[in-house]
Amino acid sequence: MARQTKKSKSKLWFLVHSWLALPIWFFVLIVCFTGMLAVVSQEIVWLANPDVRASQPDDNAERLSFQQVLSALNKAEPDMAVRFISQPDGSHFALEAAVTYPDGTSPTLYVNPYTGAIQGKTPDFNFQAFTRALHGWWLVPFTNGYSWGWYLVSLLGLPMLASLVTGLVVYKKFWRGFFKPVRTQHGSRIFWGDLHRLAGVWSIWFIAVISITGTWFLIQAILGDNHVTISTEPIVPVIAREQVPQSPDGNPVPRIDLDEAARIAQEAIPGLDISFITLPATAYSHISMGGRGWYPLMFQTAEVNPYTRNVDSQFLLGDRSTLEFVTESMRPLHTGDFGGLPIKLIWFFFGLVLTLMVLSGLLIWTKRTAQATAAALKRSERPARVRRHEDTPVEAQP
Amino acid sequence: MSQTQTQTLPPSGLKQWWLKWRFHFNILLILIPLGFMPRYFADASLFRGDSGLGANVVKDIQVDRWRLDLAELRDEAPRADGPAGHFKVFNAALCQTCTEGAKAIYLRIGKPRNLRAAGSIFFGSPYRMSTSLPIPPRTRPDAEIWITIEGWDGSMHQASVPLAKASPATVAWLEKQGGK
Repeated sequence: MARQTKKSKSKLWFLVHSWLALPIWFFVLIVCFTGMLAVVSQEIVWLANPDVRASQPDDNAERLSFQQVLSALNKAEPDMAVRFISQPDGSHFALEAAVTYPDGTSPTLYVNPYTGAIQGKTPDFNFQAFTRALHGWWLVPFTNGYSWGWYLVSLLGLPMLASLVTGLVVYKKFWRGFFKPVRTQHGSRIFWGDLHRLAGVWSIWFIAVISITGTWFLIQAILGDNHVTISTEPIVPVIAREQVPQSPDGNPVPRIDLDEAARIAQEAIPGLDISFITLPATAYSHISMGGRGWYPLMFQTAEVNPYTRNVDSQFLLGDRSTLEFVTESMRPLHTGDFGGLPIKLIWFFFGLVLTLMVLSGLLIWTKRTAQATAAALKRSERPARVRRHEDTPVEAQP
Repeated sequence: MSQTQTQTLPPSGLKQWWLKWRFHFNILLILIPLGFMPRYFADASLFRGDSGLGANVVKDIQVDRWRLDLAELRDEAPRADGPAGHFKVFNAALCQTCTEGAKAIYLRIGKPRNLRAAGSIFFGSPYRMSTSLPIPPRTRPDAEIWITIEGWDGSMHQASVPLAKASPATVAWLEKQGGK
């Protein structure tokens, strides 16, 4: 009796597992596929566009400091305003500088980190941003809070998590499946089934990471749209009026340069890595900068007052609550952009495997159903004559 | 389940077609990103500044010795931001030859009495700045929005534009609010 219920229960789990992604298989497939592309989109752009590469003019050339880069940009384009300079993760990438030209156009420029030369600007079709928008929110615009496309995609975290759990429940002794060979001689149904199981056991950790972090994106949107915040990040007020000097002749008061600001921040915060720097956006704004801390999934930032030379505000790893350590780690865990190329390649590979899991799951389902449907149709077409043969199964199910 | 159905009903072409294809209709979900693609590229171009300053551009507003263009980012009603109220994003650009001497530029509904209450400060380069202006729901539809330029010498220079000219959609929204 107990055995019977156990059996029927596992049959039920199996049914749940088969139905989880099926009615939306194509949507899941495209989300997995675009996610896989988004992980390496920066590298794809690097391969396709020489402007994005940080080519060293000669072996002895050294990388410029932020202020040297800014000076080079100002010299090349005296009328252009620079708003932001950043070194993407990986020294083979060119610097990115967000600028505004006098005509109001505001592109991001690719700048050589050794010479400060402007190598190009982001093209009108930004592959990196596009794949991320397609994967992240199905291109549905954000008009009021989170876009409904964001909800649509992040909701998939739940069936994915359920697929993992039910898959492990129905796969008896799955821990023995890591080195089971895929049978190729027994028809495609068996082949895809074996592949689905083999890929599944090797991706347990990855599916768990992606579905949990994906579900976090759903929670994040719900929290955000209900104006609930768990952040302990200080809200940096503008610089007080008294601290910003006036000049009787009407000329702008000089501010400290970027390297001086970086030096002050690094002196106040030992070990602060600076990979991006934002120039003051108003006369009452700070020079803000930041980079990764020892824990590579999170960033540390500092705001330097360009008039008083004070570090007015900082947000370091130690300032985070335990909850923030978890929630802030979710995004990098999902995107795999916290450990350079090796991590990205691992994420890309398992993204591909996950895409194939959806595809093989669908193939298994259609093969099984197609056979069952064909059999059912055959029976209904010739009800009188074949009734006797009906006991013999038309299809052999593994 | 499908078995019993096919046995009781004669397998019409339509039925067969439905059974075969019903789980592939989700391919139609691809129409969502396809449909939003023009909007996506229009927005990308708007944020890059390639499609101008914004909607309903008021050109060459003279504020003392400066000239300035003002535009709303989008031709639409103010957006709600939870308990903080409703906001409207405006962009502005100083004329290319007159960026000198302007320390800060502010925007406010109604005339500010001093620099401390000058309103929302514009962020960004003088060629393209933006600010998020709070719109109290009780604002009169015939209100003026005031631009205040603060000089580096501490001087204050002002000009105003009718809200109806800078953002007709906001005025339409305010009129609707007043009806409630």
